Amino acid sequence: MPAITVRVNGLEVTKEVGARTLLSTFIREQLKLTGTHVGCDTSQCGACVVTLDGKTVKSCAVFAWEADGADIGTIEGLADGDKMHPMQEAFREHHGLQCGFCTPGMVMTAVSLVENNPDIDEDGIRHGLEGNICRCTGYQNIIDAVKTGAKAMRG
Amino acid sequence: MATYVARNGIGENQRRVEDVRFLTGHGKYIDDVNIENQAYAMVLRSPEAHADIKSIDVSEAAALDGVLLIVTGDDWKSTGYDPIPTKSAVRTFIDGSDMKVPPHHALAIDRVRYVGQPVALVVAETQDICRDAMELIEVDYESLPSVTHQSEAIKEGAPQIWDIAPGNVCLDFELGDEEVQKKAFADADHVITLNMVNNRVTATPMEPRGAVADFDPETGKFTLWNSSQNIHANRDTIADVVLKIGKENLHHIAPDVGGGFGGKNGVYPEPILILHAAKELKRAVKWINDRSESFLSDTHGRDQVSKVQIALDNDGTFRGLRTESVGNLGAFCGTVGSFTPTGGSSRTQGGPFKFDGIYYTAIAPFTNTCPLDPYRGAGRPEGSYHIDRIIDYAAAQLGMDPIELRRKNLIPPEALPMKSPMGLDIDCGNFPEVFEETIRISDREGYAKRVEASEAKGMKRGFGVCMYLECTGGGPKEEAKVTFLDNGKVELSVGTASTGMGHETVHAQLLAGHLGLAMEDIVFRQSDTDATEIGGGHGGSRGLEVGGSAVTQTSRQIIEVGKKIAAHRFDVDADKVEFEDGRFHVPGTNHTMTIRDAIDSQNDPDNLPDDLEPGCMNISSVFERGIISIPNGGHACEVEVDPETGTIKVDGYWVVDDFGTIVNEMLASGQVMGGIAQGLGQALMEDIYYDESGQLVTGSLMDYALPRADDMPRMVIAYYEDAPTEKNLLGVKGAGEAGCVGAPPAIVNAVCDALKEYGVHHIDMPLTPEKVWKAIRDAKATG
Ligand code: FES
Ligand code: FES
Repeated sequence: MPAITVRVNGLEVTKEVGARTLLSTFIREQLKLTGTHVGCDTSQCGACVVTLDGKTVKSCAVFAWEADGADIGTIEGLADGDKMHPMQEAFREHHGLQCGFCTPGMVMTAVSLVENNPDIDEDGIRHGLEGNICRCTGYQNIIDAVKTGAKAMRG
Repeated sequence: MATYVARNGIGENQRRVEDVRFLTGHGKYIDDVNIENQAYAMVLRSPEAHADIKSIDVSEAAALDGVLLIVTGDDWKSTGYDPIPTKSAVRTFIDGSDMKVPPHHALAIDRVRYVGQPVALVVAETQDICRDAMELIEVDYESLPSVTHQSEAIKEGAPQIWDIAPGNVCLDFELGDEEVQKKAFADADHVITLNMVNNRVTATPMEPRGAVADFDPETGKFTLWNSSQNIHANRDTIADVVLKIGKENLHHIAPDVGGGFGGKNGVYPEPILILHAAKELKRAVKWINDRSESFLSDTHGRDQVSKVQIALDNDGTFRGLRTESVGNLGAFCGTVGSFTPTGGSSRTQGGPFKFDGIYYTAIAPFTNTCPLDPYRGAGRPEGSYHIDRIIDYAAAQLGMDPIELRRKNLIPPEALPMKSPMGLDIDCGNFPEVFEETIRISDREGYAKRVEASEAKGMKRGFGVCMYLECTGGGPKEEAKVTFLDNGKVELSVGTASTGMGHETVHAQLLAGHLGLAMEDIVFRQSDTDATEIGGGHGGSRGLEVGGSAVTQTSRQIIEVGKKIAAHRFDVDADKVEFEDGRFHVPGTNHTMTIRDAIDSQNDPDNLPDDLEPGCMNISSVFERGIISIPNGGHACEVEVDPETGTIKVDGYWVVDDFGTIVNEMLASGQVMGGIAQGLGQALMEDIYYDESGQLVTGSLMDYALPRADDMPRMVIAYYEDAPTEKNLLGVKGAGEAGCVGAPPAIVNAVCDALKEYGVHHIDMPLTPEKVWKAIRDAKATG
């Protein structure tokens, strides 16, 4: 089995991966970072979203070997120690999560949406979250959380 | 802080305790549970809708390196395990004979009856090996004719699914007084009839089902971690009824559960299969469903075709309602599946409206489809759809105003309490006020302008309302147990099961409020057969109604014991002691003692009066609900329809709910909005669709459409709080299901309003662009 070297939430790791191993499986099972969730098998739900060299990807749609040499960001790396990221705080403040299963993917996507467009409006947020399904909240509180999170990120 | 304690935690929008765990990626869901040296299981599922299993050859698969165990139907038969029982509350036909209950074994024995039915269990060192082994299992099927639609299943000559159920009928049902209804129909000026479909959908929690089973050969005890909403009842069924190992030998736990909505209520085959495997292998076994398997094997919901008739007078007065439903049960009875189209859909017939007579009948046939079981609302969304659709349809037929029709026929507050024609105990509420408030908040003044703006774009705008009335359900009893730990923490264990609703917060909020404790000190436990003796889990909007009442009852008992401890210290009678803001005090004296003092005293006999034992403040109590509660409310909705493409945009949504007391508005509104999204999904896009040969067409998230962020409108949610119920200790009526009870009729009514000029007055759900476009085209063609 070939080995890959990646930086995960700032830490470098080298591991052997199988040819069929998905990035999501690699993150969950080999790195034991179980905050990245798997909610489907057709790359539809977005529960598995992580960043790869700063861009969001559905980690179930990428082979682990494709990430060789890349910088991977997962939900576990978002908070600064005990201090949650402003987007995480905003989700809590607005009750933007219920069961929490879609949440890591939602938050990762939201952070990236705002990074790419700090002044994103409601339509932009709704559109930008198209690839992330939440079955619990009806989205409204997520939208409001992203707005507040964006404001906090703008500083 | 003062109001917080004064109101006993009620009314605080306490932020959620569980959120930090979930937001930082530290939730522990079923796929995050791993036991050292665990093996992996997968289920080989039937590709056939209806077929005899001629033979199964597992020899090649079993020989594969890393395969540990393969179990087939024949193996299962030889174990002597029992079938999974059904617990429907309705169990007899109208004529008094017994409901037909075919044996629901965890693996198909000799014959398969739906696509996706478990045929064999494969256990191996890895999931990849399981997959490879499944490819090597050869099953020889001999296809049989199949039937998937309920209307076809009850026709003469339809393929017969179970010998014990002639005509495929599992159960029939009636409720109400047929004579009174008939007389009302005979006396009325008009009878309007509409056939309607309540489409088959599925709960689709974002976390697929899964379980991990372990067995300890030394003690003979099993542990099952299971993404289930119903830990106690399912333990009893699995251990006592199916495997017959004794419930004391099964420790059943749900970790964090990623949504349930009823879809994780029932007893499923897979956890039973892996318990067996764990025992055989003396090793932990893990099984996780993937999403495509979830569509095939998670129970489905709704699926009724109904003929609804309303009788009314020229002045719009409602006289009678008659509903005949046929509910598709799938291939088995489900855990409580046969209750939904029968008892479940009957109780709320007629909604909050006055009728002289209502009569409901149903037939529940088997088909070659995945079994039906509760999905959020289970019967009440169907009942609400019946009444609120027929009102709008009748209004269209008779040239009446659907809003005025509702206004005229709502049960007035002076008529309450009353027993509805369906036997529901409607104790309190103010339906006219809730209705008017719904209309008031829905920005009617701006409507004409918005219609104009839509017309200018070539769009059609419509407005629709619904006045729903539903009822709670689920287990009537709940336990709340409080243990004061030596480290100062307070352990609160409740038998309810949060799958995202926030019980960890709201139950703790109640306990903290009642006792004047800090939220941070409360450690919450749920969904664990070791944490509470009994537990009703999650279902029927019972979390606060029954669970919160149990927390309140236990809190009160703790306060009573605390008073005795305080009285002992102050040397006064216990009835002189009062409790307020976390302090015991004797009015008129300077005797005071904090609850913390009392807790710290409880373990030393010297601090206690003779009738109390050390640990006396650690109390568990069981609250039992007498009569189910009646949540009710109004939904209003505005849509914009593109007549060229048939696409629908839901553009505004307003709700006024009467849930009685609101304990945490933030959480209540979360429930309502999530429910509306599921209702919108059912109304506009979700559909479990089997083709002629019984294959599931909508078997992935590519084919089964779920609402996304840009499908949802902004929602405005308000509450009517002037009618708390006395049926439980909190005055709450249940909030979990109401959203998806009200949304489908409100949305379909709005679409039909938008299309009325074309003469389109009904379209069956889901209102996909294609169906809407065709309805417009057909209406234009027939002029
Ligand atoms: S698990 Fe990756 S999109 Fe669903
Ligand atoms: S919070 Fe449950 S799926 Fe989004």
